[in-house]
Amino acid sequence: MERHTSADPACGRFAALIHDRVDGALDAGAQPELEAHLASCAACRGLLSDLDAINRTAADIPDVTPRPEVWTSLSARLAAEAAARPRPFWTGARVALAMAATLVVAVTSSVWLLRAPAPAAPTGASADSPAGAATGVIQSDRDLVQDVDEHLRIADEHYVQAIAGLEQVVRSGEGALDPALAATLQKNLGVIDQAITESREAIKTQPNSQLAQTSLFEALRQKVSLLEDTVALINVMRKGDQAGAAKILGGLSKS
Amino acid sequence: MAMTPSDRTEANRLERDIVQRCRGGEVGAFEELYKRFGSRLYTVAYRMTGSAADAEDLVQDIFLQVYRRLDTYRGEAALGTWLHRIAVNTCLDFVRSKQGRRRRVTDTGEDLDALEAPAAGPWRAGAELDRMELERAIAQLPPSYRRAFLLHDVEGLEHHEIGETLGIAEGTSKSLLFKARMRLRVILRGRPGER
Repeated sequence: MERHTSADPACGRFAALIHDRVDGALDAGAQPELEAHLASCAACRGLLSDLDAINRTAADIPDVTPRPEVWTSLSARLAAEAAARPRPFWTGARVALAMAATLVVAVTSSVWLLRAPAPAAPTGASADSPAGAATGVIQSDRDLVQDVDEHLRIADEHYVQAIAGLEQVVRSGEGALDPALAATLQKNLGVIDQAITESREAIKTQPNSQLAQTSLFEALRQKVSLLEDTVALINVMRKGDQAGAAKILGGLSKS
Repeated sequence: MAMTPSDRTEANRLERDIVQRCRGGEVGAFEELYKRFGSRLYTVAYRMTGSAADAEDLVQDIFLQVYRRLDTYRGEAALGTWLHRIAVNTCLDFVRSKQGRRRRVTDTGEDLDALEAPAAGPWRAGAELDRMELERAIAQLPPSYRRAFLLHDVEGLEHHEIGETLGIAEGTSKSLLFKARMRLRVILRGRPGER
């Protein structure tokens, strides 16, 4: 058994009362007896003082901050979850798009730095930082680049998924559009599709090209934007809202 | 520093707003939620498991649970309390499954009273208790002691809450806390009679 820390074995029964006192839960009836004992027992005074210090110090232990990569990884998992979730299409598509955008912003800024030639002096940012020391998990740049590539791939998938959903909506409502306008929109979508294809080809031949990756995501964003405007246009045309349609068309001609 | 009632009201309003926006599928809102509570929940996971790598996985699992269950949050408890409960339960499931695996392999439980403590601990007489030393000592506690101590003295849960969370009687929680504190004192001060 664990030995009592009090010198006198008779003090053992006071130990529980001392714990209660530390917790502010000492029964009022027991207080005089405990106080009288403490006045005559240095060992129990020492126990009270130590437990008070342990209790106070424990309450002040600060939080530990996780590495930024935890959010990057979590946002990818959330994106996958959002995409797989059975929800009304429009909500799911918006979540998937937003997740994709978040992933792109989160990872593109770091991946190009990591792919750039190593700096002359080590930054020591991961291993020496308090977060690095606390976690004890050090990811190599190579691992991180692979991680980032994976997130970019997931972001791409979410864009493609959202685009497929939007295209489905557009196809089902295309009849509401003026044929000439529908043809113009299709032509513009064709131009963007061409840009997407060319960017993908460029990435195949130059996987490390920031320009190609940026062009791809920009083209994907443009396609999403045009499809969203087309869906909005279909909705207002169905309602016969000419003013609303004119407003959307005005925005389309500027973009 | 403790929050004033008006700070708390403002924080509650902000948290309700974040929850509403998360429910609406706004990813930026979920990032806000993570920024607001990520460190808190990561810390819970880190302390419960004693492993940064496990805590990194767990904090993601916790937020995925939150994402799935956000529609069930009624606002009866503070958002932080609700999140904390999910975090503790997720960590406990993990710890139990890990212990279960280990037990199946080694067929040994915790021999709580056979733990050796050094003759003299790092906490010198008359000195302030160093927080880092306390954290190191907590890490040396047997898991059941550590959980009770962390939930009560660090996370601030009441014994009935610990009982509900750990699936033990309130009295067992008190007893574990008592033993944990006494054990910590021995680890920090050294064996009695040799200080």
